[in-house]
Amino acid sequence: MKKLICLLLVASSFLLADTDFDQLKTQMSKQQLTIQKLEEKIEKLESANLIQEQTPQIQSGAFSQSKFLPDISLIMDASYVNRNKKDSEIGHLEVPGVIHGLLGSHSDGDITHSTYNANSGFNLNYAELAISSAVDPFFTMDAIFHYSQNGVEIEEAYITSTVLGHGLKVKMGKFLSNFGYLTEKHHHLWSFSDMPLVYQSFLGLHAINETGLQLQWTAPTDTYLMVGAEILQGENEQMFGRAALGDEENPIAGESSAPSLFVAYVKSSFDIGDTTIFGGISYASGSSRLDYSGLEEPYVFSGDSSLYGIDLLAKHYLDSYSYISLQGELLMRDMDGVQYDLNATGDVVGNANLRKKQAGFYTQLEYQMNQSYKVGFRYESIYKNDVISDGINQNEANNLDKYSAMLEYRTSEFARFSLQYSRNNALYNEDGVQQSVNTLIFQANIAIGAHGAHSF
Amino acid sequence: MYKLLLIILTPLALFAHMNIAVSYPYIGAITKSIGAEHIDTIVLANGNWDPHFIVPRPSLISKVRNADALIMNGAQLEIGWLPPLIKRAANPKTNVNAKTFLNLSNYVALINKPQSVNRSGGDLHPDGNPHFHLNPNNILVLAKTIKEFLSSIDIEHSDIYEKNYADFSQEWNKKLTLWNEKMADKKGTKIIQFHNVLAYFLEAYGLVNIGAIEPLPGIPPSSKHTLNLIKLIEDEKPYAIFHDVYHSTKTAQFISSKADIPLIVMPHDVGALESVEDLTSLFDYLTSAIK
Repeated sequence: MKKLICLLLVASSFLLADTDFDQLKTQMSKQQLTIQKLEEKIEKLESANLIQEQTPQIQSGAFSQSKFLPDISLIMDASYVNRNKKDSEIGHLEVPGVIHGLLGSHSDGDITHSTYNANSGFNLNYAELAISSAVDPFFTMDAIFHYSQNGVEIEEAYITSTVLGHGLKVKMGKFLSNFGYLTEKHHHLWSFSDMPLVYQSFLGLHAINETGLQLQWTAPTDTYLMVGAEILQGENEQMFGRAALGDEENPIAGESSAPSLFVAYVKSSFDIGDTTIFGGISYASGSSRLDYSGLEEPYVFSGDSSLYGIDLLAKHYLDSYSYISLQGELLMRDMDGVQYDLNATGDVVGNANLRKKQAGFYTQLEYQMNQSYKVGFRYESIYKNDVISDGINQNEANNLDKYSAMLEYRTSEFARFSLQYSRNNALYNEDGVQQSVNTLIFQANIAIGAHGAHSF
Repeated sequence: MYKLLLIILTPLALFAHMNIAVSYPYIGAITKSIGAEHIDTIVLANGNWDPHFIVPRPSLISKVRNADALIMNGAQLEIGWLPPLIKRAANPKTNVNAKTFLNLSNYVALINKPQSVNRSGGDLHPDGNPHFHLNPNNILVLAKTIKEFLSSIDIEHSDIYEKNYADFSQEWNKKLTLWNEKMADKKGTKIIQFHNVLAYFLEAYGLVNIGAIEPLPGIPPSSKHTLNLIKLIEDEKPYAIFHDVYHSTKTAQFISSKADIPLIVMPHDVGALESVEDLTSLFDYLTSAIK
C-alpha cells in the first residue's frame, strides 16, 4: 500500500514536471515531504487498527472472583531418622511420673499417637496448608490444615479483629495459645526438629492448641508491654481435659463445666542497641480429666491443674543476616486430684489422692552465621518430679535431661535443611531402667506460595 | 501513685502531636521536612540494615500501636517484616485500607518489573524494583505525595505542609541541577552491583548495570557465578563494583583483586553510613562515587 502510493506520487510528479531541472528538483523534494507525511498517516491508521483488533470484548471474566483469592502457602516437612533403639521399643519408653510414651508411635485405646520424626528411616511429618485473607473491614481469617499420615487436622482456624483500636485484639476459633514463647510457633519455625522435652511431656506435641477466645492488649507505652487472656475449651490430652471419665451412666468423675481452661500472660520487650530482650510470664489453669484406661496398668485421673511459665530471649544482631541468641523457658506444673486404678474391665479397684509437682526447662544458644548457615545447642532438663500419692512421695527420677546440637543450611528463605543430634536421658523402659536414646535427624522443611513473614 | 499516673499519662499527652510511623529512614527524612514541628516521625527500620530483612522486634509493635498514621515504601519491600507488626499492633489507623495508611509505591513508576514471577528466578519483586527513592527526581514526587497525605489527615495544618513542600521542592530542584551537572559526563558508565539496589539511580543518570554478584536476587554468591563475573568484568571493563553496606564484601573484594576493579560502598538510605545524615548527603555521596 505504502509502496503503491509512493510510486503513484513519483510517477505523477514526473508527468507534471516542468522541463526546468531546478524546478523539478524542488518539486521532487516537496513531494518527498508529502510522501513522508502520508506514510506517517498510514502508519498511525494501521497502528490504530491494530489496537482495535487487539481489544475484543471479553465477557467471560465478568463474574471472575480470582482477585479475591486468599494468600495460600504449603509447607512440607520430611525427615530421615536414625536411633539407637528399635521403633517397637521407643513407643513404650516413658518419662516416669510425667508421661507414658514420649517418642515414636504408640496406641492409646483406638487412637494412635505419633510424634514428629516418629519412625526410624524416612518420615513425612506433615504437609501444612495455610490460607489467610481479610474477611471484611473488621476481621481477618487464618486457617492451617495439617495433613499427615494420621489424617487431616485443623490445626488452626480463627478470625482476628482489626478495628478495635486502643491496642486491643480479639481472636476466636481454634488456635495455638500464646502461653510462653514456643507454644504459639508452628513446628516449621522452631530452631530444633523436635519440641523441648518439658513442653512435649507436660502438654504434648501441639502444646496448648485449643478452641476458644483470646483477648490481647498492648499498652500505649514506648516499651513493649502486652497482656493477654484466653478462655479455652480444655481438650489437652496430657494435662487439661473436661470429658467425663468411665462409663456415661455411672461415671468415675463427671465432666467439668465448659470452657474449662484459662490462660493469662504478660510479655514485655526492650532493645539495648542491637540487642533485643524479650520475656514473659504465663499462667494456665484448668480441670484435668485424663483417661489412661488403655494402658497396661489402666487408670484415670480427675482433678485440677495449674501451669506456670517464664520465658526469656536475648537476641543480638551482628548484621542484617547474623545473630546470636540465648533463649530459655521454665515450666512448672501442679496437678492435684484423685487417681482411680482400674481393672481390665474398667472397674475402679482403688483410688489415691495424687499430687504432681513437676518442673523443667530448656535453654538454647543459636548462632546464625549468615543467610545460609545456623548452628544451635540445647540443654534441657526436668529437674523436679515430685509425685505424691496419699501423702507419700513416690521418689520418681528427677535427673531427666537431654542434649541436642544442630546445623542448619538454607538454600533460600523457603528451603531449610538441618542435621540434629540429640542424646535423651529422660526415658525409662517398662522395667524402670533408664535408657539413653541417641537420635540423628536430617530434616527438610520446604515452603511454597505466599511469603510467610515471621513474627519475632 | 501520682508518679505512676504521670508515667501512664505522659505518652497519652504526646498524642496531641501526630505520630507518623514510617518504614525506612528516607521516608522519615521527607516526612519530617514536610511535617516539621507538627508531627513526630517514628522510623521503624535501621538505615544500615538490609531493607528486605528488618527484624520485627517487639519494640516496633509498640511503635506501630501508638502511630496515628503509617507510611511505607511498598512494592513488597516490607513483605518480610511489616505485616506481623501491623497484625500484632492491632491499630486500625495502620490497617492497609485505612486513610491514614500510605503506600508510596503506588505513586511512582516502577522499573524492572519481571515478565514472569517464579521463585526459581530468586526472590523477585513481582511489582518491579522497589528501591525507587534512589532516583533523586522521585524524591520530589514522594514529597508531594507525602504532603498531600499529611494534608488529607491533618487539614488544619495543610497550608503549612503546602508551604514546607514548596520550600523543600525549591531547595531540592537546586540540588537536582547540581547533581545533573556533576553526572552529565558519566552517562554510559558501566558498573557491577551486589544486588540491583541502585537501578533507579543508574536510570536517572544513564549509568549501566552490567551484572550482579548475586547469581539471582536473594541468592547468595556462588563460585561459578563469581568466575563468570570476573570474565565479564575483564571483557566489559566496568568502572567499579557498587556495593551495598549490608552484604558481606568478601566476594566483592575477591572479584576486585582478581579483576583489578575498584570496590565502592554505596549507601542506600539515610544512616547507611555515618556520613550520610540526610537526603542531601545521600545523593551528594552517590553522585560523587564516579570521579
